[in-house]
Amino acid sequence: MIQLYNISKQYPGFQLQCSLEVPPNRVTALIGPNGSGKSTTFKAILGLIHPDSGELRILGKPVSKLTVSDRTLLGVAMSDSCFSGYLLIQDIIPILSQMYPTFQKEYFLEKCRHFNLSLTRRINDLSTGMKAKLKVLIAISHQARLLILDEPTTGLDVLAREEVLDMLREYMLPGDRSILISSHISGDLEGLCDDFYLIHDGRILLHEETDTLLDCYGILKVTEEQYHTLDSSYLLRKKRESYGYRILTTQKQFYQENMPELVIEKCNIDEIILMMTKGEVL
Amino acid sequence: MNLIINHSSMQPIYEQISGQIKEKIIHNDLIEGSCLPSVRTLARELRISALTVKKSYDILEQEGFIITVHGKGSFVASANQELLAEEKRREVEAELEQAIRKGRSCGLKDSEIRELFQILLEEG
Repeated sequence: MIQLYNISKQYPGFQLQCSLEVPPNRVTALIGPNGSGKSTTFKAILGLIHPDSGELRILGKPVSKLTVSDRTLLGVAMSDSCFSGYLLIQDIIPILSQMYPTFQKEYFLEKCRHFNLSLTRRINDLSTGMKAKLKVLIAISHQARLLILDEPTTGLDVLAREEVLDMLREYMLPGDRSILISSHISGDLEGLCDDFYLIHDGRILLHEETDTLLDCYGILKVTEEQYHTLDSSYLLRKKRESYGYRILTTQKQFYQENMPELVIEKCNIDEIILMMTKGEVL
Repeated sequence: MNLIINHSSMQPIYEQISGQIKEKIIHNDLIEGSCLPSVRTLARELRISALTVKKSYDILEQEGFIITVHGKGSFVASANQELLAEEKRREVEAELEQAIRKGRSCGLKDSEIRELFQILLEEG
């Protein structure tokens, strides 16, 4: 659905250099701290900025060759853009119907009712959570094949976040659809995404399936002495702690079996981000 | 389908799913020919990645517990008694293996483990 090969874009003080791929039937997450290049990558994918070099294909075509009707197959929500805040929710229905021949008005209305989005409210008057739901709803209401969502859950409380994610889970049910979604906190995406790209300083640091991250990656907590006897084949990053070292491993099973005396923890994806971005390379 | 996933368990989630479905098949809660939920549906229900569910289904298929018909879905395969017995055997084997590993790691000799095992067998 999306293919990026060695995309690079130079800005003063920042360089984006990344490759990533979103196959059909996949929910892929792009995660990383603020300012790591997530939005820049999204803008490049949407053709809003032009990369200095590299190849970029959406739905099998280079971005520049996408026709208007190809673009109706995309559903997009960017973090800081929406319809004019002076419009009422009901005003955007005719706009969407005109833009997207496949716009599902009934579905849109039903979801508005479900989320208590009153049709006569101004977009400006909506709360953060309401606005976030509306943006995702706008992106999915025309049965797009590919969703590109930049931080759709940022700033939401747990409840609203789950509602947004549930909408996306429902969206994926028919099959032959994909989502590229970004977030700076990833905990919320563990239960939705199939694979993760970790981006930092404009580069992809890590790409793994969610399963591998949750089942194979782990944190070893070792003392100074233990650290020196450790087989370092499957260690990625270390961090000094008062007791010795905290170490990110890609094979916790290996250490569980071979060194049963070690303290080994399951780690969540946020910890992996922290270790990968702040830890020392081994 | 009523599956319970433990996210803090060290057992991988795909193993938890395939294990619980197997259990249901062995106990006849899922009968031959019944249709399993689609990968996406189960992923949505359990709030986990669809690839994880896919992995569990692949394992169940490899082990002969389910059959996937392209475009139709996954179905419980005909209950093969041999297969079920084999599965149980494998479980016992794994637990014995674990006990042996534990014994060795705390310094028991193989002869001592064998002795212990013999005593327990006779007691039972």
